[in-house]
Amino acid sequence: MFKKNTAGVDTDLIKKRLDSRKAKMKLSLAACAHCTLCAESCFLFNARDNDPTYMPSYKFINSIGVLYKKKGMVDRAALQDIRDVVWDRCVLCTRCYCPFGIDIPEMIAFARTICREQGVFPDFEKEQKHAG
Amino acid sequence: MVKAKRKPLEEIAEAISTYGKVLTVGCGGCVSVCLAGGQREVYELNAELELTFKESGTSKQLGNYTVERQCNMDLIQEMDDIAEGYDCILSMACGAGVQLMAERYPDKPVFPAVNTVCIGVDRNLGMYEEKCRACGECVLAYTGGICPVTRCAKGLFNGPCGGTNNGMCEVSQDVPCAWVEIYERLKGQNRLDDILKLQSVMQWQNQLQRTVVQPKYEKRYYK
Repeated sequence: MFKKNTAGVDTDLIKKRLDSRKAKMKLSLAACAHCTLCAESCFLFNARDNDPTYMPSYKFINSIGVLYKKKGMVDRAALQDIRDVVWDRCVLCTRCYCPFGIDIPEMIAFARTICREQGVFPDFEKEQKHAG
Repeated sequence: MVKAKRKPLEEIAEAISTYGKVLTVGCGGCVSVCLAGGQREVYELNAELELTFKESGTSKQLGNYTVERQCNMDLIQEMDDIAEGYDCILSMACGAGVQLMAERYPDKPVFPAVNTVCIGVDRNLGMYEEKCRACGECVLAYTGGICPVTRCAKGLFNGPCGGTNNGMCEVSQDVPCAWVEIYERLKGQNRLDDILKLQSVMQWQNQLQRTVVQPKYEKRYYK
């Protein structure tokens, strides 16, 4: 049977983290009606020419949503993809609005916490080197 | 963004010397960007502290955690369970973050591991320059985008003073006179009229703790 290569990722720890907030997160993910109202409140979405990948709903579905869907069984590349979503496309300004009351910043912050624990987070030194 | 610099190791070690279990907490905001108090710096500090205490024969349990922003209570509260198991907290956030952390855990000593220096800009890798003192009365509109509060040794609103000397400040020949630069900038933009306008004295609103409420939220907070 095909076994996913999760080398270098502590999937047990990810699973433990996911379980700790499972009820709320699963409910939030299920409650999203894809109404796109959150998009209007995201200044990055507006500033990026309404790029759908900057929609808050896109960001939480493609970060914490992926982690729950795969039950924490992710490889390093997947975590890096999530890192790009939760750090590069979100500044965690906490201004996003959801008519259903989904706490989107909490979901993004949770995805960041899980990435951090696995040693996947932005390297600001590298970023500044490239910028310079 | 806020710029900070890590305190000397000896000062940090001294502050936490009497505590057995220490939780070093990084911040994913400004201090991460200025390479002073992010997750990587938390690891570095803990490694250095471990070595220091090992050399002095002291046993300490050093934990680490990084919250996304220590200036937001919702984001701090996720570490409630973790903080429970420690005797004190070593915060690598700016002064605002340290204070909110101390407010969240009033029974636990919270020590700062960085000195908050200024609001500044990125000049180069690891090099930052102060640009704003958050005086609460921005005058950049008539000073050509050069802040006299930050740049002028006297913080003059109407300058230059008599101490200007060939483009340099009287406090040091290495310090450029802000008001000469303002003059040159305005001259280049053909806006020298601005420098002739007398500006009233600063109200120094930063002498008291300030609260910022944006106009559209005033109804929510002020009855």
